[in-house]
Amino acid sequence: MDQITDRTTVNGKKSRSRVLEMSINGETHEITVKPRVMLLEAIRDKIGLTGTKDGCESGTCGACTVLVDGQPTLSCISLAVENEGKDIRTVEDLADGDNLNFLQEAFLDQGGTQCGFCTPGMLMSATALLEKNPKPTRDDINKALEGNLCRCTGYNSIVDSILQASDQGVKPRLL
Amino acid sequence: MNHLRHVGKSVKRKDGPDKVTGRAMYCQDVKLPGMLTGRILRSPHPHAKIVSIDLGKAKALDGVKGVITVEDTKGIKHGFVETPRYPADQEVLARDRVVHVGEEIAAVAAIDEVTAQAALELIEIEYEILPPVFDPHKAMREGAPEIHPSHPKVAEKESYANIGGKTESGWGDVEQGFADSYYVREDRYESHLRTHGYLEPQVTVAQWESDKLNVWTSSMGAFNKRAKLAKVLDLPYSSVRVHKAYVGGAFGGKVDLYSHEYCAARLSMLTGRPVRFVASREEIFSAYRHGQPLVVEIKTGVKKDGTLVAQELRIINNSGAYRGSGVVVVFLAWGFTMAPYRVPNLKYEGYSVYTNYTVRAPQRGHGCPQVRFAIESQLDTIAEEIGVNPIDIRLRNARVADEELPNKDNTHEAGLQDCIKIAAEKTDLVAKYGRDRKSPPKDSSIRHGIGIGISAYMSGTLIYPNGSGVIIKMNDDGSAVVLTGAIDLGQGAETIITQIVAEELSLEMDDIKIVSSDTDTTPQDIGAWISGLTYVTGNAARQAATNARVKLLGVAAEQMNVTADDLYLDNKEIISQSNPDNRLSYQQVIAASVANHHGDTVIGEGFWRTMRDEPNHPSLATTKGRWTENYAYSAQTAEVEVDLDTGEAKLVKALTVHDCGFPINPGLVKGQIDGQVSMALGHAFMEEILTKDGYTLNTSWLDYRMPTIHNMAESEDADVITEQYEVGQSYRTKEVGEGLVSGILAAIANAIYDATGVRLHSTPFSPEKILKGLRELERQQKAAE
Repeated sequence: MDQITDRTTVNGKKSRSRVLEMSINGETHEITVKPRVMLLEAIRDKIGLTGTKDGCESGTCGACTVLVDGQPTLSCISLAVENEGKDIRTVEDLADGDNLNFLQEAFLDQGGTQCGFCTPGMLMSATALLEKNPKPTRDDINKALEGNLCRCTGYNSIVDSILQASDQGVKPRLL
Repeated sequence: MNHLRHVGKSVKRKDGPDKVTGRAMYCQDVKLPGMLTGRILRSPHPHAKIVSIDLGKAKALDGVKGVITVEDTKGIKHGFVETPRYPADQEVLARDRVVHVGEEIAAVAAIDEVTAQAALELIEIEYEILPPVFDPHKAMREGAPEIHPSHPKVAEKESYANIGGKTESGWGDVEQGFADSYYVREDRYESHLRTHGYLEPQVTVAQWESDKLNVWTSSMGAFNKRAKLAKVLDLPYSSVRVHKAYVGGAFGGKVDLYSHEYCAARLSMLTGRPVRFVASREEIFSAYRHGQPLVVEIKTGVKKDGTLVAQELRIINNSGAYRGSGVVVVFLAWGFTMAPYRVPNLKYEGYSVYTNYTVRAPQRGHGCPQVRFAIESQLDTIAEEIGVNPIDIRLRNARVADEELPNKDNTHEAGLQDCIKIAAEKTDLVAKYGRDRKSPPKDSSIRHGIGIGISAYMSGTLIYPNGSGVIIKMNDDGSAVVLTGAIDLGQGAETIITQIVAEELSLEMDDIKIVSSDTDTTPQDIGAWISGLTYVTGNAARQAATNARVKLLGVAAEQMNVTADDLYLDNKEIISQSNPDNRLSYQQVIAASVANHHGDTVIGEGFWRTMRDEPNHPSLATTKGRWTENYAYSAQTAEVEVDLDTGEAKLVKALTVHDCGFPINPGLVKGQIDGQVSMALGHAFMEEILTKDGYTLNTSWLDYRMPTIHNMAESEDADVITEQYEVGQSYRTKEVGEGLVSGILAAIANAIYDATGVRLHSTPFSPEKILKGLRELERQQKAAE
């Protein structure tokens, strides 16, 4: 039996690439992708924004979390073609040049990042939370970040980062 | 005067801004023009002969650029350990036989992933199935299938075919010790298979450029990787450059040479194009290396007051299909036994046994949690039997400062006694202990318990590359560039090295830029996998800064017409103590050095090796020889809640009291503690790699449950500071990055006992086991009535 590759024809037709207009961090990018390509691959490989991380390719770790119309979305299990015309935001959107935003600063002040691999996804889940809920409770934070695994911190410092960012009495721990 | 401005402060991470903006570059972010995708064909069988391999169809597939098997290698073996007793035992691809599910047989490089995967499916292999063995006890029996017939037997007295390694040690006379004891008991404890759970999958990009291999690979030390890769490729070290990339967590799982690293390199050499391998999460769970469960059989005798008299341990490690670090674990398990408590008579035997499981790797703690779980659990049982409380029995036996250990190591300023006392005071442990067992709450199914566990850990030892160098280049404006081979896995290596250099040279953190973990441009480094980076590389950095400082002072003394001992450094100026108006900026001093000292731009060199008078690492067979210069000690307590109706136990609060010597960065120390408490919580309650006939059943994070944000425990800590840091002096810091997964695991087991009366002899502490224990207690109670 013939092996199926991207050059395999089915009923005489190759799987057709599509041209998409993607809005990423306020910029419109025109990319050509196969229908099977995930949003993560489109962002990282086609557009070249590698801040969004690829941890499991199966929607289990949350490292690939981006915001789609403000909603945290696992970009590794969301097809690129489904996201055309939507407002997509990634970790690269948070800082203004070298000026970090209050949430990024809080992660540094609290030790909320160690190896840093979960951090982009954590930041995007936390951004969505704070946009909807400027003073989240511990339960709100747990609910919002339950899909983001972190193996380094034990989560305490991440919760504290969000409490600091939402101005709820947690003071910076690091100088 | 010892006024420290940078060291000892909770400074923010140097790499922090890169990590919160997405700029930090990990191996998966390396993209090179013309890069091919590599995939590996793995064994579907735990033990089989390879009768034939047919690559014809795979090679003919459009888009396939290279296919390799062991026939394309030089047949050079590698191993985590490579000593005369334990020679390298593994080829980079299987030859003639496969000995575990997932063993690498062939590799493909193709223009995209779909084509690479299609090519794998076109490789035709005929196998002849051989009988496998999975249980180490069965593997040790006569007549068990022999996994490595060609392998030299290490235990000549024993006929067992599959013993990959053995450690024997001891002192005194245990039989006499047991005879002299007031109370003796024997127990058996077992731990289970867990994995590292690093978020970043293993990735390697290799690019061959005529006579140079450029490699970006997920690692825990670039120089160790370079040595192993160069060996199996038969290249000089100068032809292999391992570049810096950030590492998304490792926890022991990224030390060893992995087959995909070789395959990326070899396929790049064959195709002339860059090749990238990414291990899928399913591959990591099913074929990559996990940790090492141990069976610990322990017999202990004590005096009436709880003083240890004799201890006998027999440890069995299921090391999987190749030696991996299995023989190291059975050596380390001895060390983790003897370091915390004085045992006048000890007999120790550790076996590392080949089975047809996947190969095992170091895992944070490397045997320590398994050993401390056994010893601390049994000690609590003994304490209760003889009527001594858990704190007193530990204080009676815990090592003190300046003790010489049986291997001639010294405990120096050991703070273990203080750790135990502070842990007891802060938690009020003695008063709380036994409360719910004595007077069980009547209106609730929830029981509370508290427990303690202690541990000791090495802080760096001698193993390749043995030493670290650091170079500091002063820039002529007075700022500095630090070249270090250290790798930052998230623990904060770059930050603490910068703090030390800033302190020693009176610079600001922002004046210093760090270039790290690149085998061509940075000096050799011990790596971030033997718990010695802060001590060894940190002292090398301090010495490099001292070297630069002495040069600056020498030139300044000439220019300022004073002696160097009249001068001090302050914020990029050199100032005369006798006449503070007499001062020069670093910029001026460096210009003078270039002008008057044959162009010397002021470069500081430093290097450090632990145990500098020891020729070699200790013997893995006999434990003879020094192990480490600094022992880190700790006492950890756990407060748990157990629901008697469901058997579910929960860690509510952890306290870690530790002697890390001197915390260069207390904030980073705290980060390590919290992470280890979380990992131990996963070990205790949640995580288990499930296998059947050598196959991994749970190959995703949906089925392998790691702690999420819903599984946090409160984590408090206290430093017992036993060392000081002084500018210009070498310092001792102690390990804080992995040993603290140990005492807390034991503390959780002891706290569950305290809450319920159920003594668990195996991890994980599942509801099923706790309920079974409760039923057994009820049965015993009824029988007694």
